[in-house]
Amino acid sequence: MTTQSADREPRAASEPSDAQPITPAGTTSPVRKHRRRLPFVIRRNSRSHVGLIGVGVVVGLAMVLWGGGFGQFNQGQLTRVMIYAIAIAGLNIATGYTGLVSVGHSAFFGLGAYTTGILVVRHGWSPEATIPVAFVVCFVVGLVVGLPALRIRGLYLAMVTLAFGVAFPEVIARFSDLTGGAQGLTIRRAMLRPPSWSGFSLSEKGQWLYWLCVVVLILVLIVVHNVVRSRYGLAMMAARDNEIAASASGVNLAVVKTSAFGLSGALTGVGGSLFAMYLGSLVANDSFTLLNAIALLTGLVIGGEATRFGPIIGAIAVVYIPYYTSDLGQGQAAAVLFGAALIIIVFIAPEGLTGAFFRVFRRVLTVIPVLRKPQPPAD
Amino acid sequence: MDIFFDRLFSGLTAGSLYTLIALSLVVVFRSSKTINFAQGEFALFCCFIAWWLTTKGLPIIVALIPAMLVGFLLGVVTERTLIRPVRRRSETAVLIVGLGLFTGLNGLDGWIWGPANKQFPEMLPSGDSDYFLVGGARLHYDSIGIFLIMLLVVGLLSLLFNKTSLGLRMRAVATNAESASLSGVKVGTVLSMSWGISAAISALAGILLVPVLPPNELDLSSFFSILIFASAAALFGGLDSVKGAVVGGLGLGVAESMLNGYATFLGGSLQLTVALVIIVLVLVFKPTGLFGARRVERV
Amino acid sequence: MTGPGTHGPSIRPGGATRPETTALLEIRDLHAGYGAANVLQGIDLTVARGEVVVVLGANGAGKTTLMRAIAGLIPHTGEILVDGAGVGRSRPDLMLGRGIGLVPQGRGTLTDMTVRDNLRVGAVTRKDKAGVAEDIEKWCGVFPRLAKRREQVAGTLSGGEQQMLAIARAMMSRPRLLLCDEVSLGLAPIVVQELFGVLAGVNSDSGTALLLVEQNAELALEVAARVYLLEVGSVAATGPAEEFRTNDAIRRAYLGY
Repeated sequence: MTTQSADREPRAASEPSDAQPITPAGTTSPVRKHRRRLPFVIRRNSRSHVGLIGVGVVVGLAMVLWGGGFGQFNQGQLTRVMIYAIAIAGLNIATGYTGLVSVGHSAFFGLGAYTTGILVVRHGWSPEATIPVAFVVCFVVGLVVGLPALRIRGLYLAMVTLAFGVAFPEVIARFSDLTGGAQGLTIRRAMLRPPSWSGFSLSEKGQWLYWLCVVVLILVLIVVHNVVRSRYGLAMMAARDNEIAASASGVNLAVVKTSAFGLSGALTGVGGSLFAMYLGSLVANDSFTLLNAIALLTGLVIGGEATRFGPIIGAIAVVYIPYYTSDLGQGQAAAVLFGAALIIIVFIAPEGLTGAFFRVFRRVLTVIPVLRKPQPPAD
Repeated sequence: MDIFFDRLFSGLTAGSLYTLIALSLVVVFRSSKTINFAQGEFALFCCFIAWWLTTKGLPIIVALIPAMLVGFLLGVVTERTLIRPVRRRSETAVLIVGLGLFTGLNGLDGWIWGPANKQFPEMLPSGDSDYFLVGGARLHYDSIGIFLIMLLVVGLLSLLFNKTSLGLRMRAVATNAESASLSGVKVGTVLSMSWGISAAISALAGILLVPVLPPNELDLSSFFSILIFASAAALFGGLDSVKGAVVGGLGLGVAESMLNGYATFLGGSLQLTVALVIIVLVLVFKPTGLFGARRVERV
Repeated sequence: MTGPGTHGPSIRPGGATRPETTALLEIRDLHAGYGAANVLQGIDLTVARGEVVVVLGANGAGKTTLMRAIAGLIPHTGEILVDGAGVGRSRPDLMLGRGIGLVPQGRGTLTDMTVRDNLRVGAVTRKDKAGVAEDIEKWCGVFPRLAKRREQVAGTLSGGEQQMLAIARAMMSRPRLLLCDEVSLGLAPIVVQELFGVLAGVNSDSGTALLLVEQNAELALEVAARVYLLEVGSVAATGPAEEFRTNDAIRRAYLGY
């Protein structure tokens, strides 16, 4: 998002003035040498780098296993965290990496949820089989909603997405035959029976959903990671940072922006699909309102836009802040805290918590890529 | 025919209210080149202030004044402390601050006054017998009042812009802020005043609007859809045009009322979707709206 | 800040002549730029009351940055003294209050407003309504082409007319020093002649000092008394315009003609 790109620009601009005449290593002053001790520098894919990643994976696995043993309520909370992390990771594609601020992602979340709800309730599908359908439906709708992004930018695009988010419950109410309208759509408990191959019984459906969310979240994170590191991801970020330059460098803005919005909506829709299984009853006016959309955006901003793990941190905030403050301020404290958090983050840490953490972390430890000889382009 | 007039009158009433909120969006946009996403929540906050004062025994017509003053201060303080520091950094930063205000103010209202809906007194006469008959349709006094108040606000704004020194400075900043500053215009003051005036208009609009538009009571989500309607109206007319806000607001109000009445195949209750379509169409095909001067930033 | 060795005897490298009495504008060691890019690297410059001074230099030498820094549009470090007293924060309205106005590069026309309103905006710092109305008439007299278009929206004016309007608008605040950034840019020679005639008149009639930035060195040297030559953010040479006009070596080295 441009909050960061604005932050980035001066840094780029400062490079020429920082670029001191290159001094041979022997002539650096003692003071400089002392400062050079930090950060520790390791090479990407070196043994220590792989080792560190390994430690991270083990810690992550341990936490997931630990959560697997939680009681029903706490495990449910963790499931919610993962569902929101998936939804926010989706939002991150459009807003964080491509710079298309969406204030209407609650609609994709809701669309995914209703896709699952309708297929399960009206057509007797098994819940987990609806996830790919939710992905596809939301991808297509995302492409359509992303179309205006070809002509509209920034504030105005946000306005469009805002209207989309506000209009969503109205559309759900309009098609009440399918969606249950204002009464909502209830997925009966028996319909959410875990598949027989999973080995979970109906009474263990919380466990089943927890592990399903773990798997889907990992898949989503891998997808995001690979998309962002691909040429396509570079094109997204180029479109975010400087459209004209990106376009001049051969980035097809139309394709990049619409497909980024499509993928973004699709991933958030997957989150919505899982949310339907988690909640078991869907009421558009409760779960998929503008405030929900702002909660997703808040999670993203708090966690850190355009960061890999920001969505998880953001999801933890989005789930646990309302939980721990529900006794305060007639249940409204969370909204106030979210609002304050958004403003404070913009003022003091535009890169979000994850971004701020890694900024500090890089002062201690930096990973640098292995230098390779330039090779002739493969194609 | 009387049904047609009925629909026309109710459309004009809603349209006048959309116009007022659209005007407040226009006043902010002219100075700061931004859409204040929290505009509706400014109005909501002021409505709560007014409602709270009426529970203390004040008549609503008296409570209106402190509510508008609070709105004015809210606007000034917001611009000075939250918007101006991030304005130069990026449009997105302003947007996020606006959304922070949106959810923060909404939550604050609920925190202070509770999330339950409130009965809100009507300022204008609204009894069952307070109407004229025009072509067989009832034209209620409060509809007339709302329409006249809208015209009064438009008139006062025109006077402000065209006949006063502040208006001259506001127009100069709207056209080219740097040039204005080189001529000695204190741009910061103009921005703060614009936000203040805008929020005061929103407060007035809110107090007129809550008892008239569904759900006819003070609800925490009252202004979500109003903001969309007003934005559609303002964009349609051109975000920097007072005239555009009037045409857009009234047009949208009447169109919505007619669509609901006559286009029954839509099944009713798709007003927001219609507003969304209007917003998209205007932004894609005519970003300056009907009367706007400035080009909306496009690729 | 060392000038190349080609300059004539009376042109001192860098450093400005310091008049005995306090100058209208005195700048000491001015640094300014955009973000981390420091464009001006320690400028010293003075303008006496009623004096006409021109700043020459190639593209990117920092001329516009210098003007914007003096006018208070961008922050600076170093000292800017007006009548010997330092100005604190840089803000255009404060500088205007001290009697320094800028005709910006690109004219800064208030395109949606009428010519008359443009001129009224130029006078927002003034309280004397009658005087303002008088001055509007005066400037419409100076530029008859503006008089005809008084109620016309300024965005519809030609480039030359917009430049006239820009000068008139800046003069509406009755500055003691008028900074002009490239008034000749993109205009027909005949219009440029007219504008410079008006500027010379402004100087001789009301004693308004002028600090001109110009690409058109030949023309600028005709009206100016003194010259500063900027090279990559510092003063490369300074001296009387006479020297720059007549000394062939300097002309070839600095001005390229």
